[in-house]
Amino acid sequence: MSNKFLSNEEGSSSKFFWYSAIFWLVIGMGAGLLGALEFSFPDLTKGVEQLSFTRLRPAHVNTVAFGWLSMANIGTALFVIPALCKTKLFSEKLANFTCYVWNFVIGAGFISLINGYTEGREYAEYREPFDILVLVGLSLLSYNLFRTVLTRNVKKLYVSVWYIMGAFFWMPLVYLVGNRTFVAMDGLNDGILNWFYGHNILGMWFTVLGVGIAYYMVPKMTGKPVWSHSLSMFGFWTIAFFYAPTGTHHLLQSPVPEWLKALAVIFSAALVIPVISVLVNFYMSMRGSWWMLTTNMPLRFVLTGAFWYFITCIQGPFQATRGVNWYIHFTQWVVGHAHAALLGTFTFFVIGAMYYGIQRLTGRRIYSVRLVKWHYWLLLIGFLLFFLSLTIAGLQQAVGWALAYPVAQWSLTLVPMWMVRSIGGTMMFASSCLFAYNIFMTMRESSITPKDQLDIAVPVEEGK
Amino acid sequence: MSNDPNKKIGARGYVLPALVVIFSFSLIYTVVVLIPDMTMVKIHPSEYAMEYVQKDEKGEILRDDKGIPVPNAAGRGRKVYIKEGCFYCHSQFVRPQDRDFGSRVYAGDYANETPNILGTSRTGPDLSNEGQKLPDAWHIGHLRDPRAYTPGSIMPSFSYLADEDMSDLVEYIQSLGKKRFEDPKNRQIYEAYYPEADTAFWKKSEHHKPNVDSAAAANAGAGIFRQNCAVCHGTNGLGNGPNALAMAKKPANFSEPFYKSYSDKTWYYRIAEGVPGTRMPRWKLKLEPEQMWYLAAFLKTLPQEKEVIIEPFQTINDMDWEDQSSLPQRLVDTYENISRMKDNGTYKTNPGGEIEGVAGGH
Repeated sequence: MSNKFLSNEEGSSSKFFWYSAIFWLVIGMGAGLLGALEFSFPDLTKGVEQLSFTRLRPAHVNTVAFGWLSMANIGTALFVIPALCKTKLFSEKLANFTCYVWNFVIGAGFISLINGYTEGREYAEYREPFDILVLVGLSLLSYNLFRTVLTRNVKKLYVSVWYIMGAFFWMPLVYLVGNRTFVAMDGLNDGILNWFYGHNILGMWFTVLGVGIAYYMVPKMTGKPVWSHSLSMFGFWTIAFFYAPTGTHHLLQSPVPEWLKALAVIFSAALVIPVISVLVNFYMSMRGSWWMLTTNMPLRFVLTGAFWYFITCIQGPFQATRGVNWYIHFTQWVVGHAHAALLGTFTFFVIGAMYYGIQRLTGRRIYSVRLVKWHYWLLLIGFLLFFLSLTIAGLQQAVGWALAYPVAQWSLTLVPMWMVRSIGGTMMFASSCLFAYNIFMTMRESSITPKDQLDIAVPVEEGK
Repeated sequence: MSNDPNKKIGARGYVLPALVVIFSFSLIYTVVVLIPDMTMVKIHPSEYAMEYVQKDEKGEILRDDKGIPVPNAAGRGRKVYIKEGCFYCHSQFVRPQDRDFGSRVYAGDYANETPNILGTSRTGPDLSNEGQKLPDAWHIGHLRDPRAYTPGSIMPSFSYLADEDMSDLVEYIQSLGKKRFEDPKNRQIYEAYYPEADTAFWKKSEHHKPNVDSAAAANAGAGIFRQNCAVCHGTNGLGNGPNALAMAKKPANFSEPFYKSYSDKTWYYRIAEGVPGTRMPRWKLKLEPEQMWYLAAFLKTLPQEKEVIIEPFQTINDMDWEDQSSLPQRLVDTYENISRMKDNGTYKTNPGGEIEGVAGGH
């Protein structure tokens, strides 16, 4: 009984986290898509309070951030850390138990959020019981992974281990101080704390995990070592020092203390340094291996993520400077930017890692390479439409706010942008459904394949 | 040191980096969160800070059995505002560059706000000073069916809200920026101020500038006034146009002595830039500089000697206009009054727009 529900099999917890993540991806993206459609058809769900845009938005954000991306990243971490430490996970049972807790939080949290049971702070909407459970889950995972690293069989820690361990050290603390359940402040301080948390779940959790995973995947998939280990460590330490104080750049024109804003702007601009170091390292590691993008779909996902990482992280520091923020803040540009980070970059990273890892852990070939390609192109083109339409809409809104034209005067000019955004969203939602179907069929239909034949990960049919 | 693969390597060699990570994060947390908290949370609430709790006659906060303060209608409305996620699309901080949303908001004004609802996105307008602009019934109707009130709006319909929640929410919206607006200091700021330094603005205004003191300019201005302004300010500029009925912040009555202090440039600037926090639009989006100078020329001629009270119209403005069932009847009554006064000769107007003998007319 306990073996069936709390498996001790090697890699079972990774798979459990991954499959749950794919389920929440479909749910979370569906909620986001419905919300996007309500921009074009505002009376689409009139009278149903659970499906009102304002209820769907927190449900979408929390489900994709904590349900999809966090769980997919955790699953990958549970796969990467034992592999890099040449040992078994400290406790598969504990990790499987954590996954049950996590799934409960996301499911119950989704239902509670669409019913309006919310804390009312962006990215921290889950109420007290869920906050406590998330923290329990994070602590158990940290304990599990740190114990695994302590019992490793290699002496030197690879850079991915640093990144992932860093994430599992920072995230519980960031979550602890960022939720009103644990720390409550009044007035503007609540805003400062909110954005300390809101930006650091991106910086100290998604970025660190995502980059750590990409640092593992790029050399593994190309079969060549990472270009410079010291440059990668330099990136780690600069992220550790520069990322945490940047949150206040969300409040640049509000009445928070000027020195705090200055600090946020300076450190945000300094984030260019780790970003460039990471990207230079990836691209230099790819020297002589670029041809692999034509055959190796997981690698293509990871490298596309690296491309979006470049876009996001060049946008980010510039957006945080006062001059640009003056113009861009409050508009849909920022929404596009946030999606470029979480969807464009880290989702692409982790999808590549999942295609790679699921084949390794199950020993099965992916069911359909054609579907993987559909998944890639639908997601990429859908996201390009989504990103460009929101960026253009943001620039239009920026003109409206900067010249102080009444909203009614320019809101109709955004209608085509909302439509394009919905089309892009539909394509991305369809790609996620294909992804889920493909993984499901891999479990059911694919036969066990010898390990050496998995090495090309997903070969093209005509290449054979 | 040992080459035995079975021996645990543990944390050896990694203690110092781990300590650096822990130390740097605590340092950052202290600087970025704790120090602002220690230096800022102690700020006293400013005079414009909103009140969300009920108080008894002595000013003590009322508490329930568990010691939790009892929220007032605005406090309950704020909870609805948060529950319904209004803050995802409506910000609540006016930036220095925002010209359409009224006075800026300062740190002390947020003293009683928790959780914060500053907002990060403006899909709709900023609501810091939204209170009192429009009547309650407008808000209720707009929340239920936004597109019936502002065509092209993409605001979701909140028709599912219970009546109690709806009235609390409207109470909250009406309290936003109310204290700020009612403070005479702020009123003076936007009523008697124009920025000399905005050279581009004034340079543009010089284009085809007429002689503002001429009777011809005033005459031209009267026509523009009746086409564009009279619907709120009334044909004689007494703040009693038909639209005034539906406004909580009433349009200006130009017969008030205050407007004597206006210079030509003040008139021009106010017409061009509107009155932030009210329904007065920024006419420079619609009118040419020349037309706005004509308007200024006309407005200067309005009687400013004494305050005129016109009883029949004032009663319409001051009526409990939410009670709409009686509105048609009261309009009929008013016009019947006027025609009765005309019949018995007590209703007189003079060319300057001043109406005499009305106050004691019935």
